[in-house]
Amino acid sequence: MWRLLALRPGGLAQEEVLKGAPEPQAFHPLESPWEARRAQPRPWPEPLYFVDGKEREEALLAQGERVALLGSVAAGALVSQGGRMVLLPPAVRRVGVGLGEPLRVGELRYEPVAAEGTDYASLRAGLQKAREELEKEVARGLSGGLLVVDGPVRFKREGGALLGYIKTHWVRYLPEREEALLQVLKPGERTPAFRVRRQGRELASWYLRLPLVPERVRPPQAGLLRVETPLEGPFSELADLSLSLFPALASHPVKDPRAPQNLAPIGALEWALGRRMGSQEVVERLLRRHLGGG
Amino acid sequence: MERIGVVLGRREATPLEFWVGVEGEGLLRLDDLVVVEGFHPKVGQVRYFGMVDHVAKLHEGEAYDTDTFLAVEGRIPVSLAYVAHVSVTRILPEEFFPPDPGSPVYLAQGENLELALYYDAMKNQKGSTKLPAGFLKNGEVAYLNLEFLNGVKGGHVNISGISGVAAKTSYATFLLKSLLESGVLEDAHQAKVLLFNVKGEDLFFLDRPNNRLTEEARRAYERLGLPATPFQSVAFLAPPKKEGYVPDLDTRLEGVRAYHWDLVQFCQRGLLPFLFTDRSAMTNLGFLLAHVTERLKALAEKQKGPHLLVEDWPEEDLPEEISFDDLGRVRLKSFAQLVRYVEYKLLGPETGEGEGDKRWVARQARGTLEAFVRRLRASVENLSHLVRGDRPGNPPDPLKGEQVHVVDLAKLSPQAQMFVVGSLLKDLFERKERGQYRGRIFILLDELNKYAPREEEGPIKDILLDIAERGRSLGVILMGAQQTASEVERRVVGNAAIRVVGRLDAAEAERPEYRYLPTSFRQRALILPQGAVILHQPEIPVPLLLHFPFPAWATKREEVLEDNSAEALRRELF
Repeated sequence: MWRLLALRPGGLAQEEVLKGAPEPQAFHPLESPWEARRAQPRPWPEPLYFVDGKEREEALLAQGERVALLGSVAAGALVSQGGRMVLLPPAVRRVGVGLGEPLRVGELRYEPVAAEGTDYASLRAGLQKAREELEKEVARGLSGGLLVVDGPVRFKREGGALLGYIKTHWVRYLPEREEALLQVLKPGERTPAFRVRRQGRELASWYLRLPLVPERVRPPQAGLLRVETPLEGPFSELADLSLSLFPALASHPVKDPRAPQNLAPIGALEWALGRRMGSQEVVERLLRRHLGGG
Repeated sequence: MERIGVVLGRREATPLEFWVGVEGEGLLRLDDLVVVEGFHPKVGQVRYFGMVDHVAKLHEGEAYDTDTFLAVEGRIPVSLAYVAHVSVTRILPEEFFPPDPGSPVYLAQGENLELALYYDAMKNQKGSTKLPAGFLKNGEVAYLNLEFLNGVKGGHVNISGISGVAAKTSYATFLLKSLLESGVLEDAHQAKVLLFNVKGEDLFFLDRPNNRLTEEARRAYERLGLPATPFQSVAFLAPPKKEGYVPDLDTRLEGVRAYHWDLVQFCQRGLLPFLFTDRSAMTNLGFLLAHVTERLKALAEKQKGPHLLVEDWPEEDLPEEISFDDLGRVRLKSFAQLVRYVEYKLLGPETGEGEGDKRWVARQARGTLEAFVRRLRASVENLSHLVRGDRPGNPPDPLKGEQVHVVDLAKLSPQAQMFVVGSLLKDLFERKERGQYRGRIFILLDELNKYAPREEEGPIKDILLDIAERGRSLGVILMGAQQTASEVERRVVGNAAIRVVGRLDAAEAERPEYRYLPTSFRQRALILPQGAVILHQPEIPVPLLLHFPFPAWATKREEVLEDNSAEALRRELF
């Protein structure tokens, strides 16, 4: 018998502490010379897909020593085709990280997901993994064109180009000398591409600056986006294309506190995903009624 | 049944109103009628009928207005919501519990449409009382319940709207056509119609086919069950010109009769008060007026006219042109002479400090008498061609002869207009009160604000009030029209069971007189096109937006379809 430990446990989590990032070990530029680059505007490839996911922690349960994290994960895709941006049917899943068998709570059904450990951090990681899996699943269903994912490139894509973009920069990829270029990068400019190795994957990456109004008053780091793509692809071409793509999709600071990196269509997609997960109040009410306590 | 959407759950669904989400390619417009089925195990099935009174489209998922630019550029996805608000017109059976969100919504067609608009209740022992009143937006014929027009359950029509664009007269004549020729009014052949033509001469071609009538309009008449023909039996009456005795009309010469009252009729029928329509300005003249009216009645008793014979006007005081009859009595042959005679009776001979006839002055002060005479004199110019002693009187008599009588007022002075309307209505109402005519009488009077103003009192307002309050049981039905209902006596408007609104002025539409219209209708009253009106009838809780066909009769000289057949030419020549 599971007992309710806490609702919305996400509130308990500590903000990740920004570690003093060390200088990178190795640096391999893929383009030279090392200076800001611009590119002629070019049309977006068609179809152009955006995939993003969302997770929501709903409750922490306990059964004796065992702990489980109930949550919802959702992933969806947008396709831009013929001048319109359309939402494709999203996938939503309720999962219980740490559960052994499915758990039914009223009309809700949580599928079991294995956890690495029993501590809260591992449970969270399990939920995150479930979300990433779902994103991958959605991405697999999209063929041709170009796929843009929120976050680093974590999978291979057959039959089409793939771009990942990173909004916040915990890790330094450039030595100090090259890093100076980031300070002077103007909106619509990018750095040359450089090689990144991660978990046995070879990627090409570059930084670009998004427009952020009003100009001048922003801190030097604002509006910086790092983009990456598998090294085996036509990365130079994609890097030039990214200058026509991301600045056009940048959100406006009036509308989004995470502007401009939080791209406008992704913001809309996240909103739609959140909606499909169902009302959190209703879910909480059900959990409380069926599991008692809180 | 055509499914159009579902009842929305995000907004309250109540038994009286709910919101509908339109799905797919569905089309739902203002005024469309819908039906929803509800079910509760304790009650069983319930059907909600309603009318759409608000429709909206919006982008869901947009947080800012400017997000639409992004959506148009294809930078963010949006979902388009198409929603409609429905006001429930009827619940069958009457169980007032709310419909379930998510219930399918269907367009009300055929039998459902009839239920939604209470057409099933429009009948009596003798049969259907559905009177065609125009077309709904969806092209179906709209009906009004005749029993609320002919006086059985209610009576009178009131039409409001801006002059020129609201088509008040057009709709009124269309309604009359429907009354007289649809066959729904069973004693239609006995019904009589009195139309007052107040502006232009557009009612003077009611009996002529319209050459601008299109094939489409003909089909519209056919669908209404009405012949696309002009009115069959119409008499046209116009006041005579001030010089000579020909009808004072510009565009129509043939088939129009001049009308006037002779002096004896004027006195016998007691028409004098209709010259003094502004009662508030005459306080103490009222008694004297009633007294003189009685004296004139007594004077004209047993006289045949047209001239009025008087015995007590000494020769030395006579104006020059006056003549005598064989018995030496003075013969009054014009309204001016009658006024001079009354002046003589009230103020005495012109020469000297004469005193009036005691039997006439009724102990009134000389100041009062003089004021009375001044007013009477002022009316000579306005009335002398309408009240005369030179030929036998032939005032309009709507109860005799043709079915429809058009009486022209357009060129008369305001005082003369008041006189004609007051005299005719009084006569009609008195004869109906005495039961002298069995059929119904429909009276179309525009500019009601002039004849029954909200603020002032007057003899015509009294008659109109009488008609409004008692007329329906006597079979006298008033179809009143005005630009602004707010300026008309409340009880006259309030007694009209059928209310019609054409294009309204924005300020006027906000007045309490139009509160019976829901907001969306008040807004639309400002932009109503020609040929469309909003009609409210007692049985249906929502007004209907109606279109009515182009008149089948000409409304001006240029529209008259000339009949050049040999038959017509022969008729004209011989």
